[in-house]
Amino acid sequence: MNQKEDFTELQKLLRLKRLETPGQEYFDRFVDAFHRYQRQEILREEPWYTKLVEVLMEPWVAGVPRLATVAASAACLVAGIGFFLGPVAPGSAPLADGKVLHSKGILVASNPAEDSLQIQPELIDTAAGGEVTQLRPLYVNGHGAVAYDSRLAF
Amino acid sequence: MSADATKVLDLENGPTDEELVAETVKGNLASYDELIRRFQSRLYGVIYHLTSNHEDTNDMLMEVFDKAYRSLPTFRGQSSFYTWIYRIAINRTFNFLEKRKRRQGAMSLNEIDEDGLPKYDMPDPIQRNNPSKSSMLNELQNKLNESMLGLSKEHRTVVTLYDIQGLAHAEIAKIMGSTEGTVRSRLHYAHKQLQKSLGIYLRR
Repeated sequence: MNQKEDFTELQKLLRLKRLETPGQEYFDRFVDAFHRYQRQEILREEPWYTKLVEVLMEPWVAGVPRLATVAASAACLVAGIGFFLGPVAPGSAPLADGKVLHSKGILVASNPAEDSLQIQPELIDTAAGGEVTQLRPLYVNGHGAVAYDSRLAF
Repeated sequence: MSADATKVLDLENGPTDEELVAETVKGNLASYDELIRRFQSRLYGVIYHLTSNHEDTNDMLMEVFDKAYRSLPTFRGQSSFYTWIYRIAINRTFNFLEKRKRRQGAMSLNEIDEDGLPKYDMPDPIQRNNPSKSSMLNELQNKLNESMLGLSKEHRTVVTLYDIQGLAHAEIAKIMGSTEGTVRSRLHYAHKQLQKSLGIYLRR
């Protein structure tokens, strides 16, 4: 290898970049910061019908109004509202304690211990009514926690 | 080795990444916290050396761990968790870089230095205890970051993974979904480019 192809000094210089790190304190606090981030994300997530309306309305926004698109959006919105205002299916009514509510793929649950970050698996089984489930817990939300079924979640 | 001895060894090493993944999917969130602790520093490094901005890196790192958590049920174990989460980090950072590139025209003045280049975050660990060298290191650091940002994102990634993080060619190939040959050739090209732009700082 000729001198021009010797990258040893360059590689030494690049290794200096390993020092560009925020320090242990940042990493010690990262997990807690991540939990806070997840809670905020859950609260900030737009419902599916908002996203649907956005997609359907895109041609309108782009300046090409289409009556069919607007009509379909309105129909979906009405159907969506009806769906959510409808009664909760039998067998998935809220329980007095154990605090679970299972509705169309969304499970809301809380643990007896306020500070706990985890939904106990038994609680998920209870909420799913013994069905085979793919429910997965998300991080604690207030005093409760939220889990969702990945097959049905929107 | 007896079964008991194996058990002791396992306890010493702690659970594997894949065991922690399985526990997380079952609902044990503490296992995911452990995975975060294992990878936070390395992923921070990858994202930071691609973006050259600590604030963006922090945001991206949160996004990466969140995305990985939500996607865990689709993780089939065809690759190691390590490769999988690196891929997520790199892909998401690439997307972020594309967006940043598009909005660069609309960058505010306080994000741009006097030469019209994006401002970089300066590392402080090496400067803190050595103020006399601070200015020179600052300049060097600036030039190094500028040269890195001058590379394409693929070339910057191989330099980051190989020279800064110390991964092997084969590991980088798996993460980037390419061949070892491609990794070597990208690395060689990137080294040549960096050598050219950093020439005056390198001893001969």
